[in-house]
Amino acid sequence: MRSFRLSLILLVMYASSAHSWWMWTPGDHVDNSTQSMMGGYHPDQPILFSHAKHAGERGIPCQFCHSAARRSITAGIPPTSTCMGCHKLIKSESPLIKELTNFFAENKPIPWVKVNALPDYVRFSHRIHVNAKNAQGEAMFACQDCHGPVEKSVTAEQWAPLQMGWCVECHNKEREPARDGKPAVRNAPVTCNTCHF
Amino acid sequence: MATEHADDELAKLERLSEVYAPSGDFERESSARDTGPYYAAAEEVLPELEPEDPRVSGAKASAEGKAFPVDRRDFMRLFSMGAVVGATACVRRPPETVLPYVTQPIDMVPGVATYYASTCGLCSAGCGIMVKTREGRPVKLEGIADHPINQGGLCGLGQASIQGLYHPERLKSPLLKQEWTYTPVSWERVYKVMAERLKNKKRVAIFTGGATGHRHGFFRDVLRAMGSSEELLYTWEPNGLHQAMAKAHHVAFGEARIPRIEFQEVQYVLGIASDIHEQGISPVYHAKGMSQGLSYQNGKMGTFVQLESNMTLSGAAAHERLVIAPGSEALAALLLVEILYDHPLAKGSNEERRLIKEVLHEHRKEIAGGWDALGISQKQLSAVADALVAKPSLVLAGGSSAFTAEATKLQLLTVCANILVGAYGKTLILHQGWHTNPVVSGDVQRFIADAASLDAVIIIDSDPLFTLPAALHIKELFQKIPLVVSLQAFPVSSDEVAHLLLPAHHYLESWGDEQAVAGLWSMRQPVVRPTTESRQSEDVLLWVLAHLGKNLPYADYLAYLKERWQDLNRVMAPLVGFDTFFQAVQRKGFITQFSSQVVGELRPLATHLRGELFAPKKDALYVVSPLDHRLHDGRGAHLPVLQECPDGLTTATWDSWAAMNPHTMTRLALKRNQVVQIKTPAGEISLVLYPMPGVHPQLLVVPRGNGSQDKRNTIARGVGVNPLALYAGEFEPESGQPITAATEISLTGTSTMYRLATLQKHNDINSRGEIIKNYSLAEMQTREHMTKDLDTVPDLFPTLAGAEHRWGMSIDLNKCNGCGACIVACSLENNVPQVGREQIILGREMQWIRLDRYFAADVDHPRVTFQPLLCQHCNHAPCEPVCPVFATTHDPEGINAMTYNRCVGTRYCANACPYKVRRFNWWTHAWGKMGERPQDRNPRALNPDVTVRTRGVMEKCNFCVGRLREAKHTAKIAGRKLHDGEVQVACQQTCPSEAIVFGNLNDKFSRVTKQRSNGRAYLLLGGDPEHGHYGLKTLPNVNYLAQVSHQARDEANHHQPAASGHGEQSEHA
Repeated sequence: MRSFRLSLILLVMYASSAHSWWMWTPGDHVDNSTQSMMGGYHPDQPILFSHAKHAGERGIPCQFCHSAARRSITAGIPPTSTCMGCHKLIKSESPLIKELTNFFAENKPIPWVKVNALPDYVRFSHRIHVNAKNAQGEAMFACQDCHGPVEKSVTAEQWAPLQMGWCVECHNKEREPARDGKPAVRNAPVTCNTCHF
Repeated sequence: MATEHADDELAKLERLSEVYAPSGDFERESSARDTGPYYAAAEEVLPELEPEDPRVSGAKASAEGKAFPVDRRDFMRLFSMGAVVGATACVRRPPETVLPYVTQPIDMVPGVATYYASTCGLCSAGCGIMVKTREGRPVKLEGIADHPINQGGLCGLGQASIQGLYHPERLKSPLLKQEWTYTPVSWERVYKVMAERLKNKKRVAIFTGGATGHRHGFFRDVLRAMGSSEELLYTWEPNGLHQAMAKAHHVAFGEARIPRIEFQEVQYVLGIASDIHEQGISPVYHAKGMSQGLSYQNGKMGTFVQLESNMTLSGAAAHERLVIAPGSEALAALLLVEILYDHPLAKGSNEERRLIKEVLHEHRKEIAGGWDALGISQKQLSAVADALVAKPSLVLAGGSSAFTAEATKLQLLTVCANILVGAYGKTLILHQGWHTNPVVSGDVQRFIADAASLDAVIIIDSDPLFTLPAALHIKELFQKIPLVVSLQAFPVSSDEVAHLLLPAHHYLESWGDEQAVAGLWSMRQPVVRPTTESRQSEDVLLWVLAHLGKNLPYADYLAYLKERWQDLNRVMAPLVGFDTFFQAVQRKGFITQFSSQVVGELRPLATHLRGELFAPKKDALYVVSPLDHRLHDGRGAHLPVLQECPDGLTTATWDSWAAMNPHTMTRLALKRNQVVQIKTPAGEISLVLYPMPGVHPQLLVVPRGNGSQDKRNTIARGVGVNPLALYAGEFEPESGQPITAATEISLTGTSTMYRLATLQKHNDINSRGEIIKNYSLAEMQTREHMTKDLDTVPDLFPTLAGAEHRWGMSIDLNKCNGCGACIVACSLENNVPQVGREQIILGREMQWIRLDRYFAADVDHPRVTFQPLLCQHCNHAPCEPVCPVFATTHDPEGINAMTYNRCVGTRYCANACPYKVRRFNWWTHAWGKMGERPQDRNPRALNPDVTVRTRGVMEKCNFCVGRLREAKHTAKIAGRKLHDGEVQVACQQTCPSEAIVFGNLNDKFSRVTKQRSNGRAYLLLGGDPEHGHYGLKTLPNVNYLAQVSHQARDEANHHQPAASGHGEQSEHA
């Protein structure tokens, strides 16, 4: 009888550990990777595109290429045709540009590696941040505030930690302090369903 | 833990036998309830209907085999120890790639939805739809707000059609039958084979579904060009109401038109077995009209009285419902005409009255002896007639519950009645904007006569084998035709007789047009590139013609359409160039130009009404097979979201059933869930019984739609039974519609029990207090001017302040008719998975909004109320404080928010919720595939703006917060405030009867605020604040508007009606 009970206990313990593994691990959206934990993720890209050259040296505005940023939830990786708009003529003989031209000629999308990735349960919108204005009517953010000095690096790097605490820190800043019994006006809402729905 | 102690505990555990299986049925015993006047199922008032053992064969998974020799608490202790061991896994996310376009389409921004106007293609109503596409992929359909037919609404079938587009079981390529197998072939081969086999053939036919635009004309042109005859185009629609009405008006006025109802003018509607809220002529148009024209508003309310033997959604929505004998609809109409004819206030010219007199004379025998057979008293019908002539009114008759041998006679008699009440030209419009008939009446009969002589037939978007009675031997007829080609957007049962199976475009991939109402042209345009190797049906025909060397002068169907639309351009906008015109229509979705045409005088009808009218026998049982209000004739059966959307009245999912009067069941000693054998001379079926209050005691109702045996259709296969096996395949002589009603049956109970997956009692809150409030019209008129403040409740909670918005919803119980479109829209908007029959039986349905259906009063004459129930977004929500991880929290804007990634699945919130609206994910639904389990759904149809939930997570309605955020961002960027009505939640947007209003409760002038302060508003489980009872004090942001009835409240709620019947109650009407 005793051995039966013991085996029963062991069985339940084994079953529950198996169950919790089955319940909480892969396949779904497990997302505790080091990449988004601390920033600094700097993957290799299929073409060595230099932000420093374009945005830094030549001073092309970010939204010239990432034109979806002000209209959409996503900033958008520019389509190859945007690159070709200039590079049909400019430096078309350079080996890097040739790689680009090949992709374009074969009508293949360039498999850029995603740098700033948010989990699927976070719904961030570029549009509202890019268009955010302060009391004076000036834009509240530059792209660099979240993406770092992109114009100084070659390939893009995850600069910010992109953790919730980092988001909330800014959302939670008081724009106007609490006064006359009125609650403080904050930069942005911090309720869960601002980003999670 | 000391060893002895643990042993003691274990010894105790061994004596206990069950751990987590519920000890009984999910459904509570009917004796242990206090439900007020309302009951959710017939067995609550007739307990003898309850089967002895609730664990019936279908519910294998529910209760058996769960016994486990440890009790729940100890199981959890042991379990949690083990869980610590397991919770150590760490996973690194692999690098992801982002693939931009090579060349991005102009006007296309990734992440921003693009909308295209088109026309729904699932039935002949021709509703305009706005297709939301993301990155070139349709994700949601919504009605076009200013479309004259659907006015923004859309029915469940239309909403669900998007699942058909992405359905993985669509054919991937053409299939050619060789010997006994089908081999995939190229389209080029198809054209060659068809050209070869059709060469020099004179009798080539096309068998197709209904259409109101240029499609049938094109088919005729093709047949002519092929050298065949345009006579060989056969059209078939199972909804025969169009044919019967068109035929009757053709007989009566010389024009095959279907009158349009001018709802603004109507105050009193009599339906005779009308299915205006189900399929009808134009379900969304009629639901909108009934809602705007007849429902309670400012102290006034129209009246809708329904005479029927089946229990339909229309009968449920009616203010008064009189039960007539099965198949006696025409008799009822005749007796009504007789009463109206003699009425002093009756209208109609002398000539018209003379012709009607002829009709009455023809039927003097039935008039004398008909009352007994009809089942209602002369007094009751006289009261209805009094109201009909006194008010702007009309009589609406017919529908799929009344496809008897007298369907056209019923319509002709209704024409007489409408003349006598003065409906034509006032409430019924025949001279302008009438509905068109999508098919040619009698085509099926013609086909049956011609079939033997045909050389080939091409079946396009129709399923004759499934939708026609088996007794017609349609299969054998097709098998004798040398070449059968089946061109379908989705594989259908009829494919089994085809030699060539060709994948056609889904309507969202096709060009087309519809003219569902004369003068209203709707455009259909492709909104997505073909998702399979399909072709537009019309283009296939053009290619075949080209291979035959008999070209029509069109490159494709679009060219043909453009040529036709050039004529419309000349008529409708002669000053605009064609390209501008065509693009403008494409953008808007439709164009109207109504012109008036004179309607002829009434013609002699008596010859068309010869013959004695049907009167049912007193002791026989009859069967009727109406079209299912969700699945139609079965065209929606392959869409999981529709199968899972509950039927309005039975709340059954994933099945078909035989609904029967509960008293008849007790008389025959039949039980709920018992399988019965239904026999007619034509055939027999076995089906599970459902006790349906309000059905005539001599009637058995078996809906159509389910029962597909097609192996390729994994969603519909094996679900339910096709009742068309019961019918002899006779045709109604005038309209040529097969008879699917009033057929005598014999019924035997079997010993098999089968669990019907009904939803009504899964989240039963009926015993918790006053769920439905009801005021009489007189009572309401005194309450109309009072202002309610539902939000002031004495309690210790701090008041919410400071936010600009407080989102609220108001649901009008008077308007809801139980169609279920909200459920479908919500499921598609919010990526709610479908779980399948077994999971539903286990109580694991996932829908965020449900439709509770309640009966009140006598089971033979019940009053029905539908209550859409979603998360009430309580300001003092019981679910919030119990969450150990703060996964459900309150948003300052009043939304009860659910944070999925925080949820650990304790389900405390679901326990705490008094409204039972929380849904737990028992599975991660395999989004990547479909077919192994019915619930698996194709990920391409997901809404990318809403998180897909996984196993172990609680979810519920979130007031479409994604839509809210989108609109708020747009307003903020534009530097303005949101205006009322700018954001519509998915259920509200689609609701065909406009029962749901959503908006900002902090805005004094918003519609929702006005409704919330109305004398009709109440909070669910909110007690009776007028008398100082505040109920649960949950303070929901959702409020209901009480039902208003013409009867006094006590009378309406009374369980057993007075012996004199319902005659007195209609005096208010």
